Amino acid sequence: MTPRHWAVLLALLAAAAIGALGLRAGTAGSDAARRFFRHPTAAFAVGVLLFFVLIAVCAPLVAPYDPSAQLEIVQLQNRPPSWMHPLGTDLYSRDLLSRLVFGARVSLAVGTLAMLVAVSLGAVVGLLAGYFRRWMDGVLMRLVDVGLAVPRIFLLLIAVSLWSQLPLAILVLTIGLTGWFATSRLVRAEVLSRRELAYVDAARALGAPPARVILRHVLPNAVAPLIVSAALGIGSVMLLEASLSFLGIGVAPPTPSWGNMIADGKEQIATAPWTTLSPGLAIVLVVMALNAVGDALRDALDPRREAT
Amino acid sequence: MRAPTKPPPPSLIGLAALVALTACTRPSTCRGDYCGTLVFAAAGQPDILLPPVSVQGLARDVYQQIFLKLADIGPSMNTLGDHDFQPQLSQRWEWETPTRLVFHLDPRARWQDGPPVTAADVAFTFQAYTDSQVHAESRPLLGGIVSVTARDSLTAVFAYRERYPEMFYAAVYHMYILPRHLLDTVPRPRWATAAFGRVPVGDGPYRFVSWTPGQSVELGADSTFFLGRPHIRRLIWQFVGDQQAAITQLVAGQGDALEFLGPLDNLRRVQQVPQLATYPYKSSAYGYMLFNVAAPLFSDRAVRRALVLALDRDRMNQSVWAGQAKVPPGPMPQLWSVWDPAIRSLPYDTAAAARLLAQRGWRAVGGGGSARTRGGQKLAIELLVPTTSAVRRQYARLIQAQLLTVGVDVKLVEIEPNVMQDRLAKGNFEAAILSYQADPSPTAGVTQHWGRGAPGNFGHYANPAFQRALEAAGHGANRPEEAARAWREAFSILNDDAPAAWLYAPNLVAAVHRRVADVQVRPDSWWALVRTWRIPADRLIDRDRVER
Amino acid sequence: MTAWLVRRCAAAIAIVFAVVTLTFLLIHLAPGTPFVPSDERVLDPAVVDGLRRQFGLDRPLGVQYVRYVVALLHGDPGYSFSLRRPIGEVLATTVPNTLLLSGAALAIDFLLGAAIGLYQAARARHRADVVLGNATLFLYSVPTFWLGLVLVLVFGQHLAWFPVGGDRNPVLYPSLSLLGRLGDRAWHLALPALTLGLVGAGGTARFQRAALLEVAGQDFIRTARAKGLHERRIWLVHTLRNALLPLITLFGLALPFLLTGAVLIETVFSWPGMGKLAADAIFTRDYPVVTAAALLASVMVVLGSLVADVLYSVADPRIRLGKGGARA
Repeated sequence: MTPRHWAVLLALLAAAAIGALGLRAGTAGSDAARRFFRHPTAAFAVGVLLFFVLIAVCAPLVAPYDPSAQLEIVQLQNRPPSWMHPLGTDLYSRDLLSRLVFGARVSLAVGTLAMLVAVSLGAVVGLLAGYFRRWMDGVLMRLVDVGLAVPRIFLLLIAVSLWSQLPLAILVLTIGLTGWFATSRLVRAEVLSRRELAYVDAARALGAPPARVILRHVLPNAVAPLIVSAALGIGSVMLLEASLSFLGIGVAPPTPSWGNMIADGKEQIATAPWTTLSPGLAIVLVVMALNAVGDALRDALDPRREAT
Repeated sequence: MRAPTKPPPPSLIGLAALVALTACTRPSTCRGDYCGTLVFAAAGQPDILLPPVSVQGLARDVYQQIFLKLADIGPSMNTLGDHDFQPQLSQRWEWETPTRLVFHLDPRARWQDGPPVTAADVAFTFQAYTDSQVHAESRPLLGGIVSVTARDSLTAVFAYRERYPEMFYAAVYHMYILPRHLLDTVPRPRWATAAFGRVPVGDGPYRFVSWTPGQSVELGADSTFFLGRPHIRRLIWQFVGDQQAAITQLVAGQGDALEFLGPLDNLRRVQQVPQLATYPYKSSAYGYMLFNVAAPLFSDRAVRRALVLALDRDRMNQSVWAGQAKVPPGPMPQLWSVWDPAIRSLPYDTAAAARLLAQRGWRAVGGGGSARTRGGQKLAIELLVPTTSAVRRQYARLIQAQLLTVGVDVKLVEIEPNVMQDRLAKGNFEAAILSYQADPSPTAGVTQHWGRGAPGNFGHYANPAFQRALEAAGHGANRPEEAARAWREAFSILNDDAPAAWLYAPNLVAAVHRRVADVQVRPDSWWALVRTWRIPADRLIDRDRVER
Repeated sequence: MTAWLVRRCAAAIAIVFAVVTLTFLLIHLAPGTPFVPSDERVLDPAVVDGLRRQFGLDRPLGVQYVRYVVALLHGDPGYSFSLRRPIGEVLATTVPNTLLLSGAALAIDFLLGAAIGLYQAARARHRADVVLGNATLFLYSVPTFWLGLVLVLVFGQHLAWFPVGGDRNPVLYPSLSLLGRLGDRAWHLALPALTLGLVGAGGTARFQRAALLEVAGQDFIRTARAKGLHERRIWLVHTLRNALLPLITLFGLALPFLLTGAVLIETVFSWPGMGKLAADAIFTRDYPVVTAAALLASVMVVLGSLVADVLYSVADPRIRLGKGGARA
């Protein structure tokens, strides 16, 4: 790893730190932001997330090697961390730091996109069920019950078995399509509690079309729990992706993802533990940061809550 | 190799637990030469312990201790004629006519529930193995035998259609003799799920004791076994999730034996443990990358040859097996006597590979020649690998990188074995990495996979010249020099056509606890000789002394 | 109340039926064929075809479905293709194993989690709270199988404090006394239950802390304090009782996953349970086992939510089930 790469890494670290602190200072005017940053770990968590996102975006600049390049399949196989390879090499003599950095792209992307699918679908279903009630509510909620009746990983294994080789898009879609049930219940509850409010009633009485009522009056107030569940959702999708890779399904080789890096290294965990340690720690750090941000968001966006 | 380090001292908690547990056991009283408990670490679990219906290697490991064959193959693994075979269930045999073989059963042989083993059992077994409703895997291999009849209670007669070199081998190697009095009431279609397969009764050195589903199978020594009482009293197979867990069991001291350590790291882990001894043996397995000759890309012989030329197979073996494997000169394991370095095979030559590809119209594009196109189409292949084999997945990634250097884009498709089976059977693939556990007979093995129209010939390879050479090698084997020449010729033709790239024939290593003496690992079925192993009285450890 | 119960039961049956049908359809549509041995040897296709015909897999899908449902209604879930034994027999051994593991993990999860949550809430915003908060955050965010792999390596292999897998010692178990057998089972249960329990405890602690602090800030607590009641009494009697509701919610949510939520841990620790059975069945296309597992899992889920709703109505008098009450 050349000095240039170290310099880029440090620069990104600094940028993340400055970004987090700057965000805290810059939003000091907003009540919600002040509540957010009152959490002891909120700023640090934002910094961690910024760091990993920056690394993922600037991956080609940070990574000293091509993540799929098998450097020397005999001599450089399973080498422990060294100056040339700060995180070591794996079974196929690929540099782990490069794989981690490019893997960040895949893992974060899968997490975010699958979460978006799940949250959007859940929001739409929850809104429709909560607003229109009657038969639509009944049908949709029974569908949710069926979806919740099968444990997620079981459902995923079956869904994934329909493809003999899983394209990444299908993986993202399947994870998203199996994860919206709880969100829809959440949104429906929010909608139910607001649709009887006076101003919503008034809007309906004045003849506003349902779509307008939903979008202008009901949705904005249901957004807060949605944002929180989105933040937490990314974390749980990343853990799910790691679990699926452990079971043998997941992102296809040679594309690295943190999950399949752990799966690749699980057979050498006794003789070459660094192959699973770095991706594992990366996942833990990002998920911790996401959970911390989710907690802080929950307090920030809901003014009725007593600060905890 | 690093010097083995001392094992971690048993911790206080572990010790306390062990003391507490042993304090709660009945007093262990076994002493002397006939004690011992051997724990095999097994990845997976057996399907059914009824030989003709089982399709699993692990089940075979267990039931081969319970059932006997008419005669057993000798240590030389020679499958020709009958002089290298050793009596087992039969005491002796003779050729009444060139196509009639008569076995005289050992009168001491008894089923474990009492009745003696008779020739009627042998006839019954043959009918079961060749019954189309039983779906025995070895049914095609018994095609040369017309009938098996019982002349009297201890004489079984095998009648053949014609003479061929491996007729004796066909009669004895595949069939485990089954008890007619226990199985003839079970309708043949129900054999696949028969209750007998969960509580088998045999005539072998060990009897079935218990099977805790998902946990373990236990066998106990039959002290009245007519060929000699087994020294090791209990055999236990403990089921674990995968190979890695099996190695962990072994290294932690909870398992005593494992037949296949796998890639290098596992070997290193085991070598660091002083109480385990390693036993290398010639493996009966080999791995290869098969091309589907019927696929448009691979119908071109030159392209196939180019891909084989582009692979540095020695280097790949170094990486995966640390030199503990050889590149086979053809579709053969190290076990077969037909292994001959003089067979004409393709070398490692990327320049020649590039030339061949260019000749066939695949022009290199882009800087560095990392892609090739012909008429607007990119040179790309789809390579199937099963998700369950760590070794083959490793080869797949190495091959992917190596073929990239000559401009071939390899897309790895890691699929479940059941999907692999489907796609291979339907011919819906371009290339696949397969491995094959061969029987000792080259004739059967090669014919099954490379013979025209054979069930195992998934790549649809056919070449009349090869077919003729194969038949000459299989039938002219009565004169060894002629046979050797014929085999060399056949394999050379095969290699010229390059229907596959032969990847590895490993030296397998088994690990067995050091306290076990007289360990012999047979290459074709590793635990076949366990009944001759023993644990000397002065080396007994705690679990050996526990009586059931 | 009875009308509500009847309606819920009818809905439950419909849901289970829908789940089983969906699973049946999906697994039969999945590419690949059953009867392939796990040692990845490629079989003679004629043998595989013969087995498929023998088990009726060459019939049209609709016919297979009808036969399956009819058999199921007669109480016959069929034979497992890979294990070659009746599924009832298979489930009779694996289900108790998983319930044991999940039950033990749930106990560790709730006891530890509730205790940590209580301690954190009592010392809110002090140093102990912050440290424990980060610890629970870590536990909540770590991949369970990764934690399991590390624990097996450290405690099972290097330190040899616990066995590395299985649910009993096959060598000693048959000759142990009852006490010895219980001890052996407990010793094998310790590490996997601890792994699952720790990760769960992280989440429970956070949840419990938040719930307790929310209740603690409410008016009736302030009133009690103003009345001069002892601090500990306030905590234990008033706050805790009101914070029980979230625990019940969690319990109701966790109940269904007792059966299949432990797939990864069962794989890492070679624990012969339902989760591993179901996952293996999906990988080997063991159709009858997959549908049986789906049936079992969905029954657990609907039962669990039913039980949770009933407990809710008992614990919180403000909630009345059925007409005129808040809908869950």
